[in-house]
Amino acid sequence: MADFRTSTHRAKWIFTPQALKEKYKEANKRAKQALEKYGATRMEVDVDGSFSYAEPQSDAKANADKHSRPKALKTEEEQLLRAFYEFKIQDVCDAFKFPRKIQATALIYFKRFYLQWSVMEHHPKNIMLTCIYAACKAEENHVSAEELGKGIEQDHHMILDNEMLVLQSLGFDLIVYAPYRPLEGFISDLQESGDAKAGHSEELKSLHESAKAEVDKIMRTDAPLLFPPGQLSLAALRRSCELHKTIDFERFLKSVHSRQHPAHGTSELNVSMNAIDGLIGKLETPTSKDVKHIDRKLKSCLDPTSHEKSKKRKHRSKESSSEMHDM
Amino acid sequence: MGDGRVSNSGSGGKPEWLEQYDVIGKIGEGTYGLVFLAKIKSNRSKSIAIKKFKQSKDGDGVSPTAIREIMLLREITHENVVKLANVHINHTDMSLYLAFDYAEHDLYEIIRHHRDKVNQSINQYTIKSILWQLLNGLSYLHSNWIIHRDLKPSNILVMGDGEEHGVVKIADFGLARIYQAPLKPLAENGVVVTIWYRAPELLLGAKHYTSAVDMWAVGCIFAELLTLKPLFQGQEVKGTPNPFQLDQLDRIFKVLGHPTQEKWPTLVNLPHWQSDLQHIQGRTYNNAGLYNVVHLSPKNPAYDLLAKMLEYDPRKRITAAQALEHEYFRMEPLPGCNALIPPQPGEKVVNYPTRPVDTSTDIEGTISLQPQPVSSGNMSGSMAGPHVMQNRSMPRPMPMGMQRMQPGIPAYNLASQGGMGGGVNPGGIPMQRGVAAQGHQQQQMRRKDPGMGMTGYPPQQKSKRF
Repeated sequence: MADFRTSTHRAKWIFTPQALKEKYKEANKRAKQALEKYGATRMEVDVDGSFSYAEPQSDAKANADKHSRPKALKTEEEQLLRAFYEFKIQDVCDAFKFPRKIQATALIYFKRFYLQWSVMEHHPKNIMLTCIYAACKAEENHVSAEELGKGIEQDHHMILDNEMLVLQSLGFDLIVYAPYRPLEGFISDLQESGDAKAGHSEELKSLHESAKAEVDKIMRTDAPLLFPPGQLSLAALRRSCELHKTIDFERFLKSVHSRQHPAHGTSELNVSMNAIDGLIGKLETPTSKDVKHIDRKLKSCLDPTSHEKSKKRKHRSKESSSEMHDM
Repeated sequence: MGDGRVSNSGSGGKPEWLEQYDVIGKIGEGTYGLVFLAKIKSNRSKSIAIKKFKQSKDGDGVSPTAIREIMLLREITHENVVKLANVHINHTDMSLYLAFDYAEHDLYEIIRHHRDKVNQSINQYTIKSILWQLLNGLSYLHSNWIIHRDLKPSNILVMGDGEEHGVVKIADFGLARIYQAPLKPLAENGVVVTIWYRAPELLLGAKHYTSAVDMWAVGCIFAELLTLKPLFQGQEVKGTPNPFQLDQLDRIFKVLGHPTQEKWPTLVNLPHWQSDLQHIQGRTYNNAGLYNVVHLSPKNPAYDLLAKMLEYDPRKRITAAQALEHEYFRMEPLPGCNALIPPQPGEKVVNYPTRPVDTSTDIEGTISLQPQPVSSGNMSGSMAGPHVMQNRSMPRPMPMGMQRMQPGIPAYNLASQGGMGGGVNPGGIPMQRGVAAQGHQQQQMRRKDPGMGMTGYPPQQKSKRF
């Protein structure tokens, strides 16, 4: 595909750790301010395409004055919630048996989206599904929103409603580079390297499989926003080699590297791979129990009235569905 | 990209982005949607072609064709490829508007002008320059693993008067594909390429095809530039689910002779050759000879290049990069940047007509599809243009071209910082409260209607799955 070196991915979507932190903080701050100002953080897309915070009901305003204003999410809580839904993306994609490329694309879309927005502004459940939907379109594996919605028992209209928002927030930079393909390249390099041990195709196959599983993990960290896909795949391969202990990764790395950059050592690459390792080490896979309280908090931020009303109308289920819109 | 300023003027449905343009009228129509010619108000000398994509037919969100075209154009920059200046969004019907710099001419019109109006062939300098630039753009695309898949004269634009006068621009990437590791065989995505320019391997049902299909199309276009007639003008059988078109193959074989396994070893593996349902193998062809059809001596380098483009075996077919090195381009007249104006004084310059504009279709009428009175502010004042014709219908698909972005167009700025905007406001998206201009009430209602899709979350227990 188009060349990574001239890609929008490389030019615009690889950040420093500091820049990333700033963005998360900024989005969080903005949503917090909105909460203080309007009593809710949920953003609505108006018919004319402008965005506005949802108009709180007057009784909610009154409530807010009575110290019952919802508490904003902390950046760490946002992060945990994102991690939860990123895991869900892999879950859903597995359930649909989508290729890993689609999974990776959806994850990258999701990550990029939440560089612009706080989870308090757009519920990650909606954005998660919309990212999967958009990834399918971009990756030539079109699945209708209805089909996608049905498969996971979600209302597909929500996907369609958020599609343009997601595309726009991604700046229409929809071609993304996943680490799976460079990994394939490295595996075939290994095969050709004549390494006696690597020569066994069985061994190589299982090395590849475990490296893919490592990439799956990497895709849920911040690493895809910090490093190019080639480095991500090398880090995954290194971890896989450590597991298998049959292949001398250092030797392989040197041989690959010297072919491309004969003048340079591999120390820079090692720094990157160590950093990626560190991120995998810190990777959290929160369960729904872990995020339950955050989700409750989020609901009241998004729309303080929904909480009140759902209490009042607990037994009137027919109406509750319309009350629950936008969570 | 994307229009960072998606806010509305609030004055009854006319989106703010439209304010920067004076829309002159419709210049094209295709299955994907409509194309309008517009001038930029701040720079009246600057013309823009605005391509409006229809919503995808099944109500399945943003048109995949539009998405494909935008995402590819975002990644590529080349002087012989149209450049996307801006993307605008109409949120009322979720349609996309792509703004390109306007190209006054295209090969379809140029060829037609020579055939029907001036009744003389296109001069050799112009043909060679067009072909060279076309190959130059294509070589770039192919080196970026992009197959265009729908090259035809109407998709090859030529810039009119101005800085880039006579520069060729490849347009219309709605069918283009990245061909690295396709998730499914490319052919499954629907049949491609207008049949006259369709490569034989496609006609015979090849599942995995390559950039060579574009080179076949270039060969057909080259011949058409020489003779002013489509080279293989087959009758299309509409509505067949597969790409097999007997008449088209028949036309090709009549000129080039039967393909043989000797010349094209993988021929026997192609589904429609193998099954031979229509007895194409059994027919006999008196090889008319390509040189007779294009009136070139077999010794002429132009003929040699053409024959290499029309090689049956896609693996032997000349590539764009190889074609650029061909002897034809090294002999006089040498190809130039302005394909329309030969550098030698005394050469006759053809004045090509400007594109007809249909002023009866108002872009705004197509913008607001809401069942409510559309804005009062129509596009009056922008109707007067020098080349305006009333009510011309334009049946054929219309491409548009584009060059450098002009200063003053707030293009691409949404994402230009990779993070879309610092500040409190992502992408400079206005976040005003209670925008509610009166006209919106009805639309608001529609949005709240569960049937319209904004609402109706399933009851909570289901959402527990996530």
